[in-house]
Amino acid sequence: MATIKIDKVRKCFGNVEVLKEFNQVFEDKEFVTLLGPSGCGKTTMLRMLAGFEKPTSGTITIDDKVVSSDKTFVPPEKRDIGMVFQSYAVWPHMTVFDNIAYPLKIKKMPKEEIKKKVEEIMEVVHLSQYADRIPSQLSGGQQQRVALGRALVAEPNLLLLDEPLSNLDAKLRESMRFEIKAIQRKLGISVVYVTHDQVEAMTMSDKVVVINDGIIQQVGPPMEIYRHPANQFVAAFVGKIDFIKGEAADGRINITGTDQYIDYDGELTGKVVVAIRPESIHLCKEGSKLHGVLDNKTFMGDVNDCYMRLPNGKGVRIIAPPETYDDYEIGEPIGINFDTFHVYEDDGTDAATKIVT
Amino acid sequence: MAKSAAVAAPAPKKKFYFDVKWIIISAIILFLVVFEVFPLLYLVYRAFFPEGSFSLEAFARVYTYKLNWTALSNTIITASASMILGVIIAFPLAWLIGRTNLYFKKFFRTLFVMTYMVPPYVGAMAWLRLLNPTVGILNQWLAKIFNLSEMPFNIYSVGGLIWVLTTFYYPYAFITISRAMEKMDPSLEEASKISGASPLKTVATITMPMMMPSIVAAALLVFVSAASCYGIPSIIGAPGNVDTVTTRIIDFVYLGSSEGLSDATTLAVFLMLVANIILYLSTFVVGRKQYITVSGKSTRPNIVDLGKWRIPVTALVIIFAIIVVGIPFATVFATSFTTNMGKSLFEAGNFTTKYWQVVFTRQQILNSAKNSIISASVAATAGIVISCVMAYLLTRTRAKGRHIPDFLITLGSGTPSIVIALGLIMTMNGKFIINIYNTLFIMIVAYMIKYLMMGMRTIVSAMSQIHESLEEAAQISGAGWIKRFKDITIPLIAPSVVAGWFLIFMPCFYELTMSTLLYSTDTKTIGFELYQYQTYHSQQTASAMASAILIFVVLVNWLLNKVTKGKFSI
Repeated sequence: MATIKIDKVRKCFGNVEVLKEFNQVFEDKEFVTLLGPSGCGKTTMLRMLAGFEKPTSGTITIDDKVVSSDKTFVPPEKRDIGMVFQSYAVWPHMTVFDNIAYPLKIKKMPKEEIKKKVEEIMEVVHLSQYADRIPSQLSGGQQQRVALGRALVAEPNLLLLDEPLSNLDAKLRESMRFEIKAIQRKLGISVVYVTHDQVEAMTMSDKVVVINDGIIQQVGPPMEIYRHPANQFVAAFVGKIDFIKGEAADGRINITGTDQYIDYDGELTGKVVVAIRPESIHLCKEGSKLHGVLDNKTFMGDVNDCYMRLPNGKGVRIIAPPETYDDYEIGEPIGINFDTFHVYEDDGTDAATKIVT
Repeated sequence: MAKSAAVAAPAPKKKFYFDVKWIIISAIILFLVVFEVFPLLYLVYRAFFPEGSFSLEAFARVYTYKLNWTALSNTIITASASMILGVIIAFPLAWLIGRTNLYFKKFFRTLFVMTYMVPPYVGAMAWLRLLNPTVGILNQWLAKIFNLSEMPFNIYSVGGLIWVLTTFYYPYAFITISRAMEKMDPSLEEASKISGASPLKTVATITMPMMMPSIVAAALLVFVSAASCYGIPSIIGAPGNVDTVTTRIIDFVYLGSSEGLSDATTLAVFLMLVANIILYLSTFVVGRKQYITVSGKSTRPNIVDLGKWRIPVTALVIIFAIIVVGIPFATVFATSFTTNMGKSLFEAGNFTTKYWQVVFTRQQILNSAKNSIISASVAATAGIVISCVMAYLLTRTRAKGRHIPDFLITLGSGTPSIVIALGLIMTMNGKFIINIYNTLFIMIVAYMIKYLMMGMRTIVSAMSQIHESLEEAAQISGAGWIKRFKDITIPLIAPSVVAGWFLIFMPCFYELTMSTLLYSTDTKTIGFELYQYQTYHSQQTASAMASAILIFVVLVNWLLNKVTKGKFSI
């Protein structure tokens, strides 16, 4: 059982408030991802769960036990948590076996039992043949798995992962994603995972918490976050997005700087931003919602990544099927159709959408 | 998990609560305040209040006496000249060894760095033998070759002093500059080249400006070391009547009178002032401008091809090494086996090992050696414990006040030995409760004040290279701080701890200046013993002792290299 309650947690470093009031409940056996750009406060939140940082105010409860509040503070070594660090933090002076066995030795387990458990976990993380190696003889991915094995060996109810895949190459990252998810399912533990990579968040999580500027932007399952982003930041951070400015009035949105419009039956009026996922846009020659000129096209193999320029000069990105590459010429007048889009109020600041990392 | 609830300690925020770190910091501060700050402040007080009331009488007396002025100007002249010469020698050497394809780079590096670990008075002894105006070996030889009627050099002069000071203090500059050169990120120079700058232009516009703070720091270090040096001027200056501030201070102290002590104090205040201004300049003015940062990546500086100059330049460096390192050490070594110093060692019957036998049999010398080993070991051990604690506080905590002992330790190492010793003599004689006068303890305290920083810096840099997450990983695995320190931190910094211990031990072991002021008949040190033999009894015995010390230094260095698997040598 590892239910985590984070209640009104704030964190300041000096006068800088890096995390504004944070309220969340993470359920047992849930895979939760804290997603956001660097400096958003996600790692700080994770380190407060681990106990490496004390919240400036607020209460953290793990398993109905208060681990951090104004009155109480349980240090990391007493929390029974597993954690994988971004830099792996595999001890260079110990063998793979000793690294993984360390948490059990701290628990003063009998030797035979330690051996048995470590061997089991080495099996899980595919390191059995490397038991006697020292870390400098391992590749990055192998060191990563040592860190994972060490975090799992004491059978914690809660596993924390701090951008564990960011130092791996693309192929390895992909396979590790599935491995971590599979291990979590197999062991039935709760995971809090910190990343700035939206694909990692999408593929592994039961729940994604999108954070920006120390503020929670949206919480929900990956699909909901992707399909119904709560604001422009989330829309832009999770996946690709086209933002088109317009003005909503009388059941339509007039696209700024053009005489084109799209039908709209929502509640917003006045200045708005229309957000469309490029992959939900269809190219066509006529009978379109919006039209412009094909500005650029890039053949990517599985898709045709292209841009249409609206009469107001704004480029709209379109992820089209590959065969469209042959059907359309650059400079040709084209149109686009789309069924799903989101409309946000335009507060005039584009900043929130630009910090995508 | 049920157990841990009991351990959860109350930690009310923004409220005073008990922290063991403060006790440790306070203890270290207390030690430094009692044995460093108080004696130094008392020294200043005594200079202005010689008899308990304010008076500039001592100043007037000291600074109107012509001999003192000569000593002051000698100190300034010799220190400035060796500073300039030292940098002029060290910069090209550092560049050649660090950044070019010079032959035997590694060997030269070890050789020049090792000079750093040799007691300076050994150099003085050697050059005394070589350039004595009447019987100097080198002098006679040169006179014979060039058919001169007079000896070409006289070591008993300001020039002689400058020469010996330079040959013994340029390694300080060499080490500082080459360290900076090796740490420089090569991509900075590559960026300049890719922008179209020629190699020379790159050196002028990128390398030199980036090195400037280190060069200035190196120069200041040489200046202050040369100005506060006692070993060299005491051996060379005394026979030639070339006085410096340090020799005058010792002379005044040896007068034994209260007036003598006052005069020594006034001169010491001057030396302290000079040293502290320089310390301030190099840490707060130059130090701030240090552009060179250590990156986690192992940087491989690009190597300049010397081309057709490779052999001639190497030859030049070899000649330099022979003159500055080879000849002096060989001379000291040879002297230790010579019966009649007026004759060549190779003449029949002139070879003897009796002086070596004396060194290893005479009870007095063995006692002094024992004293030195005991006090240096205790100082190094206590020093390294403090260094470890300080390194932990500085790199791993945000404990308030942790920079106070750091500052005081830096201040201690920047204060001339003679000033530290004088301060201790005047305050630790029972006048202010504590009486450790004439004990080994006063020696140990003095050594620690002066050399603690060597150990601290070594361990701080080792600790800052260990990523914090290595310790955090142990913590989340359930290890408390003692266990973390034992299982993770200590094994990782062990080589640096060993190196740091020796870095404190070595200079304490052969220390001369402070020992000269602090010794008693029962607590003579090997450095002081050697000085007495050199000056009053037998130069050959002194040479044998110096050679023994040299061999010991080399052995320790070799051992250190083995123990730390090549990571450290002095």
